[in-house]
Amino acid sequence: MYRVLVQRYHGEFWRYAAGLVGDQDVAEDALQEAFIRAFQSLHTCRDPDRFKHWFFRILTNQCHNARARRRREEPLDHHDAPAREQADRSLYENELRHAIDHALGELTPEQREAFIMKHVDGRSYEEISSLLGTGMDALKMRVYRAREALRRILDGNV
Amino acid sequence: MTKHDLSSETQRFLDGEPGAGPRSGERDAAVRFLDAMDTYARGFREPRGGLDDRVMARLRHMRPGRGGLWGWLVAPQAVRVRPIVLALAAAALVLVVSQRLTVPAPVVPGVAPTPGMVLVRFELLAPEARTVALAGSFNSWSSEAIVLVPGSTPGLWTVTLPLALGSYEYLFVVDGQRWIADPGAHAQVEDGFGQMNSVIVVGPRGIVRS
Repeated sequence: MYRVLVQRYHGEFWRYAAGLVGDQDVAEDALQEAFIRAFQSLHTCRDPDRFKHWFFRILTNQCHNARARRRREEPLDHHDAPAREQADRSLYENELRHAIDHALGELTPEQREAFIMKHVDGRSYEEISSLLGTGMDALKMRVYRAREALRRILDGNV
Repeated sequence: MTKHDLSSETQRFLDGEPGAGPRSGERDAAVRFLDAMDTYARGFREPRGGLDDRVMARLRHMRPGRGGLWGWLVAPQAVRVRPIVLALAAAALVLVVSQRLTVPAPVVPGVAPTPGMVLVRFELLAPEARTVALAGSFNSWSSEAIVLVPGSTPGLWTVTLPLALGSYEYLFVVDGQRWIADPGAHAQVEDGFGQMNSVIVVGPRGIVRS
């Protein structure tokens, strides 16, 4: 039964995790760790109907921690993971991805979550609102601020 | 990109609001932003498989905390089906069987129907999908084993599967990541985790999609 949950929510959240961490391999590890932690903490999930939301919060925390760890161990300014992963892509695309990844790191965790879900994961505001437990107006404002901050950072980098 | 914030009109466009368009003079900035994000999102490859195996291997020697959801996981579950749905499904039985068995559709390779099994055609209209698979209690919820193929109707994905008599829960897996219920199913049941599963019942006289 738990395998079904792993398959389902891995499929649903892998892109969100990759965007939030900025490195797909590290994000996969964060996902794996989130599933392990969720299993160990199942007794604290009092409402099975909210498993998805409950797991989403565990995953988000894992991703924020993974990103912070990655930043400490490998400064984003110098990391070359995108170049390694996307060797066949153009230099411009690699630079753009690197710049966006760097700019995402400048956002607050709350802004980054909302922005990734909207512009990388392609979710509707209704879905995001439900997962984050944030009202629609506040959510749109969060994405708006993240978007403008990102545009300003990119403006100076690309 | 401009140093100033884009107008609320253009923000609505970036939010994807239907009918919204960028303000004159901001179109280039808006399109440049969306292109950049599209490039970023496309840069992530489909994840390598096997994460579920790795997780389950690590869990083999672990025990979850008791109570809460764990108690729910191991407890017998009652499937709730609305009576009106069952009645409608029964009434539609003959029609459904005749329709589903006369339309040719790809059968899962290597799985030959045997006596006591019924050919069941699954279909999903998903014009934007790149891949569609079928996962359910009949294949241990594997999201890769049963692949639907595009039919003659544009956007329609189909597969025909031999199933033994019984009741099954299932979902479609679109593009390897979105698990969605069958909009054509006559009944959905809660999976206990806030999502809905579709239900199909294979009876002795044929298929009942309840």
